[in-house]
Amino acid sequence: MTALTAIASPPLRRPFLPLVRAEVLKLRKNRGLVLTAAAMTVGAMIVAYTILLLLHAFNPDHHGPAGGVANLGNGVMLLAGLGSVAAILIGAAAGAADLTSGVFRELVVTGRSRLALFTARIPGGLAVIVSLIAAAVVIVVTVTVGFAGSLAAPSAGLLAGTVVWLLVEIAFYFAVALGLGSLLGSRAQTIAILLAWRMAVTPILLSIGALGVARDVVPGAAFNQLAPDAIVPDHRGSRRSTFPRWSGTGSGGTPSSSMPCSHWPSARSTSRTRSITTATSSGSPSR
Amino acid sequence: MTPSPFVIETAGLTKRFGGRTVVQDVELQVPRGSAFGYLGPNGAGKTTLIRMLLGLTRATSGSMSLLGLPVPQRRGEALARVGAIVEEPRFHRYLTGRENLEIVAAARGPEAAHRIDGAIERVGLARRANDRVGTYSLGMRQRLGIARLLLADPELLILDEPMNGLDPAGIEEFRFLIRSLVAEGRTVMLSSHLLDEVEKTVDALAIVDQGRVVVQGSIADLTRNGPATLMIASADNSRARHVLGSHAAVSSIVSEEGILRVQLGRVDERVEHEAFADINRRLVEAGIPVYRLEPEHASLERRFLEITSRLEEAA
Repeated sequence: MTALTAIASPPLRRPFLPLVRAEVLKLRKNRGLVLTAAAMTVGAMIVAYTILLLLHAFNPDHHGPAGGVANLGNGVMLLAGLGSVAAILIGAAAGAADLTSGVFRELVVTGRSRLALFTARIPGGLAVIVSLIAAAVVIVVTVTVGFAGSLAAPSAGLLAGTVVWLLVEIAFYFAVALGLGSLLGSRAQTIAILLAWRMAVTPILLSIGALGVARDVVPGAAFNQLAPDAIVPDHRGSRRSTFPRWSGTGSGGTPSSSMPCSHWPSARSTSRTRSITTATSSGSPSR
Repeated sequence: MTPSPFVIETAGLTKRFGGRTVVQDVELQVPRGSAFGYLGPNGAGKTTLIRMLLGLTRATSGSMSLLGLPVPQRRGEALARVGAIVEEPRFHRYLTGRENLEIVAAARGPEAAHRIDGAIERVGLARRANDRVGTYSLGMRQRLGIARLLLADPELLILDEPMNGLDPAGIEEFRFLIRSLVAEGRTVMLSSHLLDEVEKTVDALAIVDQGRVVVQGSIADLTRNGPATLMIASADNSRARHVLGSHAAVSSIVSEEGILRVQLGRVDERVEHEAFADINRRLVEAGIPVYRLEPEHASLERRFLEITSRLEEAA
């Protein structure tokens, strides 16, 4: 670079895609964030299904195949719970990183509109979280279809519906975290607020009977209402009411969105179910 | 169309925070192709003015233009050829220097991405470009900040206190960089409270105090405008003082560390020279051996203190 280029009227050719790529770069290079999110999505699926596969391999009389529709539902519920937390982490980072580092100001003085800078965070962040979820879904689908054994394997339609539902829930929590992060300019505060909402406030709201059907609009419950029937545990009942499920009177007893492991039944060879993690619902594993 | 001779123009620019006026009626004209200093004490409103120019904060009243384009109306267009560092340059510390530049290049446009290598080379960071910024020294971050500005191939660079925290070698390097940028036809506006550095670096400047531009012009004009002073060392300073005390052109005499500082009243250059010669003749005629007789060049620092102390007295 030497002499100043003579340009009387600079062309304002500023495509949007490089901004999205830059957002992906910022998130992708945040190794701690990516490792945590990967552990909560891909890692969790690897661990959960590996345990099921090993249990079935060593004791097939007592532990059914790792695949099948029931284990699809359980795996997806676990992924939805942990994946939404990962989405919150990534959304908060995408929303607040530029502000906390002071780089946002440096980007604004390029003349680029604040709206464009903000909007690019949405596809950028989604690209990161969705790629992790996609990898986790590949594990879920591979195991539940490939290792169904004597159980019915999930249909293509059910898998498609499940994936769409999962992505909508993940995208929702990502978007909320992104917006809040951008508003507060603090990643830590954003994560604290949304985890508190997810883990503590939601179960409390859903257990307040006086709220009636208003509880169905609380995100955790609303997403359960939208989930495909086949992947939701049997104890939900015939009506899609959140009350029995969230109040602790149902067999689940604990909100699946806040305690995602609580409903994992692994199918027995005779299609009976067994909860591998029921500490909060019945106190010990049921056999 | 002939470009405006000024890359920055403001008229009646004012910024208030509540009842406090931080920038008041600023009329500024920064000549194209120069290094321009915006000089003032801490809290004088320098950064606020820069923030207004860059669209980081709104002006309460007044108008401004960058590169002949009114801002904020055509801010995007104007800033496309402006590079700015406001206070300390900020980066994502976990990214490398190159990655940080890639992020800004993405906001600037495709041409900027092609300038990354050249910019890194220019500021001497080629060997460290792939290291994380968290491992950089302040001087290296300042240089990376300059590299980031160069991505825009800027006609105008606005630097807010760019020499803060730099060691003497870093300051000299920075000064050289600024001069080389100006030699390429760019304009550099830098704000600072480091008078000595500004004087060595810029061609013209504005002195700002309490939000107002007190004076602006070339360094030569500003330093010449003050009353002339003559430094005299002789074998008998007390007699010399007595001899010169009655001279019509002399307004005051101060004795400092064996030197008489003889200040003349406000006179033009020709009269000033005649007065110097006459003072010398009188001392010689009085039989006082003179060791030293030297016109004192008013430093920017002296002018700055004169101006700001006058303002304080007026207040």
